[in-house]
Amino acid sequence: MMNKKQCVAMLLAGGQGSRLGILTADVAKPAIPFGGKYRIIDFPLSNCTNSGIDVVGVLTQYRPLALNAYIGSGSPWDLDLAHGGVYVLPPYQTGKSGEWYSGTANAIYQNLQFIEQFDTDYVLILSGDHIYKMDYNAMLKAHIENEADCTIAVREVPWAEASRFGIMNTGEGNRIDEFEEKPANPKSNKASMGVYIFTWDKLRKYLTEDAADPASSNDFGKNIIPNMLNDNQRMFAYDFEGYWKDVGTIESLWEANMDLLELPMPIDLYDKKWRIYGRNPGLAPSFVAEGGKAINSLITEGCEVYGNVEHSILFAGVTVEEGAKVIDSVLMPGCTVKRGAVVRRAIIAEKAVIGSGSEVGETTGNIAVVGDRVTLPAGSVVKAGEQRAE
Amino acid sequence: MKDVMGVIYTGEKDDFLRSLTKVRAIAAMPVCGRYRVIDFLASSMVNSGMRNVGVIMQKNYQSLMDHLGSGKEWDLHGKNDGLFILPPFLNVDDENTGVYKGSIDALHSNMGYLRRSRQEYVLLTNSLIVYNANFTDAFARFRASDADIMMFYTRNPAMQRDNYGAYLDVDADGIIRDVEVDPVKPKYKNTSMDIFLMKKSLLLELVSAGSAHRYHELLGDIILRSVRDNGMKVMGYEYTDLCYRLDSVENYMKFNLDCLDPQIRHQLFPEDRPVYTKVRDQLAARYMENANVINSMIADGSMINGTVEHSVLFRGVKIGKGAHVKNCIIMQDGVIEDGAYLENCILDKNVFIKAGVRIIGTKYYPICFDKGSMIK
Repeated sequence: MMNKKQCVAMLLAGGQGSRLGILTADVAKPAIPFGGKYRIIDFPLSNCTNSGIDVVGVLTQYRPLALNAYIGSGSPWDLDLAHGGVYVLPPYQTGKSGEWYSGTANAIYQNLQFIEQFDTDYVLILSGDHIYKMDYNAMLKAHIENEADCTIAVREVPWAEASRFGIMNTGEGNRIDEFEEKPANPKSNKASMGVYIFTWDKLRKYLTEDAADPASSNDFGKNIIPNMLNDNQRMFAYDFEGYWKDVGTIESLWEANMDLLELPMPIDLYDKKWRIYGRNPGLAPSFVAEGGKAINSLITEGCEVYGNVEHSILFAGVTVEEGAKVIDSVLMPGCTVKRGAVVRRAIIAEKAVIGSGSEVGETTGNIAVVGDRVTLPAGSVVKAGEQRAE
Repeated sequence: MKDVMGVIYTGEKDDFLRSLTKVRAIAAMPVCGRYRVIDFLASSMVNSGMRNVGVIMQKNYQSLMDHLGSGKEWDLHGKNDGLFILPPFLNVDDENTGVYKGSIDALHSNMGYLRRSRQEYVLLTNSLIVYNANFTDAFARFRASDADIMMFYTRNPAMQRDNYGAYLDVDADGIIRDVEVDPVKPKYKNTSMDIFLMKKSLLLELVSAGSAHRYHELLGDIILRSVRDNGMKVMGYEYTDLCYRLDSVENYMKFNLDCLDPQIRHQLFPEDRPVYTKVRDQLAARYMENANVINSMIADGSMINGTVEHSVLFRGVKIGKGAHVKNCIIMQDGVIEDGAYLENCILDKNVFIKAGVRIIGTKYYPICFDKGSMIK
C-alpha cells in the first residue's frame, strides 16, 4: 500500500485530436508544442504540481510514443517521486481479453486498481486540450465545503457561442440542476471546462454500473454526469474566471499562441508563483545576426535569426535564413526557413524545412500548415488553409 | 568511458577576475548567456560516457553547490555513481587540510572518495580552462600506450601568457620532456590544458607520496620533477578544438563575445554534445516593438525593447525603450532602463541601470558592476 493521497489526478490524453489535422498525424494532441517552450500537457501537469497534487495518471492510447518520451520520469514537473509522481497508463490486457479505452469513463474504469492503491478520497479528472492556469486545490476545497459528490469547473462563455459547449444550468449555491450537451437554446452560459472532481466512492460506484451497461458509450459527459444528476447526487459548478483556451483546432491553436504576444499577457506566464514547467533541450540562447530583425516575437534557445521575424513564436532550434520573412506564424522545434522564403499566418511543425523562395500562407484567410519533418522544395507554394503533409 | 571517473578541481587562484569572482568560484562563473563554466566541463565528461564526477570545492562554493544540485541536469544522479560535491572539511586526523594550497592537498583530503569509486582511471581537470571536449579518442590512445600519465595541451597561441600557465616540451613521439610552470616568457608553444588522465591507483600513490613530501601541486611539484628525472612516462595529447582560459576579465569577455560568431558557437555547442545546465523554466525571450538586436545572444525570460549590439544577455534581462547596449555582458535579471547607454561593460547578476545613465568602458578594460548594484 502506498501512502494515502487526498486527491489523485487522472489526465485523459488518449484522444487523437483529429480537428488538428496533420499536426496530430504522428503525435497525440497533448504532446503538441505550444508557446515557444511548452507542450499542451505542460499546463495541466504544472497546474497539478503548483496545486500540490502529486499523483497524476496520464491515460494514453493514440500515438503515445512522443508523449511517453516527453513525460519520462516526470522530473521537469517535480513529479519524479518515490511516493506518487506521474504514471503513464496505456490500455492493457487482463486474462485472455484486453481492450482499448472505449470512452473517457472507461479509461478511468480500467484503472480502478491504480487509483485504489493511493487510498484516495477524491479524483480530479483533467484533459489535455486547454491552455489555462488553475488552482485545483481551491476547487477541491470548494468540493469539500459543499460536501459534493461531483464538482465541475465552468466558465462563462459568450451567449452566442454557448450552443457549442456542454452547458450547466445551476440553481442556489451553484448546485447543478441540469446538464445540456450543445443545447440549441441554452438556458445558461456556464460551459464545462472538462475539469471534474469526484468523491472517489461515488465515482467508483457509477463507473462500475456504467461498465455493466452495454448500451452506454462509457463517457463522462454522455453517461456518468447525466446518471449522477438523475439520481439527484450533490453536484456543483465551480466558477473559473481566468484565461482558458481550447486548442483543439488549427485556428484556435494559432490564436492561443498569438495571445502570448500581447502585453500584458492574457495568461501571465511571467508569474513566478505559478510557473509552467516543461522539458528543456539546453541549447544556447537565441541569436539575431547583423542584418536580421526580430520584433513583437517570442524566440527561444537554439534559434538563429538571419532574416526577418515579426509577430511570431519560434520554438527551440529554429533557423530563419537571410532574406527569409516570418510573420504571424508559429515555428515548432527544429524547423528551418531557407533563404528568401516567406511564411505568413502559418504553423510549421517540428523539423520541417521550408525551401528557399517558398511562400507559405497568405496575409488573410485560414492558417496554412506544414507537417512534421516535411521538406518543402525551393519555390513551393502553400496556400492559406492548406495542410501540406508530404 | 564508464571506467573513468572525473575530478574537477575548482580551488584555483582567481583574483584576476576582479569583482566577478568575489561572490563565486571560477567554476560557477556565468558564461554564454545561460551556462556556468562547470557546465562545459561536466557535460564534456558526461557526453564522453563518464558516469562519476567529483567536484572539489574550496572557496565561495555555495553558488556552485546551488547550481549543481543533485546532478540531475547532467544525468549524474545514479545509485552508485553520479555527481559528488566535495567541499573542504576539518577533522581531527591529518587527512584533511581545510585550506588547500594546491591540487595535492585537495586530492589528499578526498582520498576516501577516490578509493571508494569503482573506476580504474581518473581524468583530472581544473576549472580555469573551458572547452566542449570529447575525451574518448584520448582515452583510447592512452589505453593503447604504455604511458603512465596523459596530459592535454593546445598549440593555440591565444592560450600563451607571460608569468602564467604551464608549457610543455613534447618530442616527436609525443612524450613530454620538459614542463615550465609560470615562466616569465614561455619557451614552449604547447600550453597545458591542465587535464590529466591516469590510472587511479597511480594518482593515489602520487598523492600520498606527494603529501608526505610536503608537495602541493600535482603538475609543478610532482610531474615536473618526474619528467626532468626521466621517471614516469608522460605523454601529450594535442587538443585541436576550441578552448579558452578565463584568466582575466578581458579573456572572460572575449570568450562570451566570441560565441556570437556562428562558426565558433557551433563548435562550442555541437548538436551531438549539448552543454547541460540548470533549467529556469521561463518564457522565451521577448523581442518587443522597438527591439533592434544586432549580432547578439538573448536568453529566455528577457524582454528587449531597445538596441542590443554585439552583446550577450543572460536570462531575465530587461532592456528599456531607447536603451542601447554595445559589447556588453549582462548577467541574469539585469535591468537597463529607457534611454541608458552602456558600452564595454560587464554587469553581474541583478544590476539595475537607471534611465538615461551613460557608461563607456574600453575594449581592453571593460567596466565590471558588482552583483545587485544600482547605478543612477
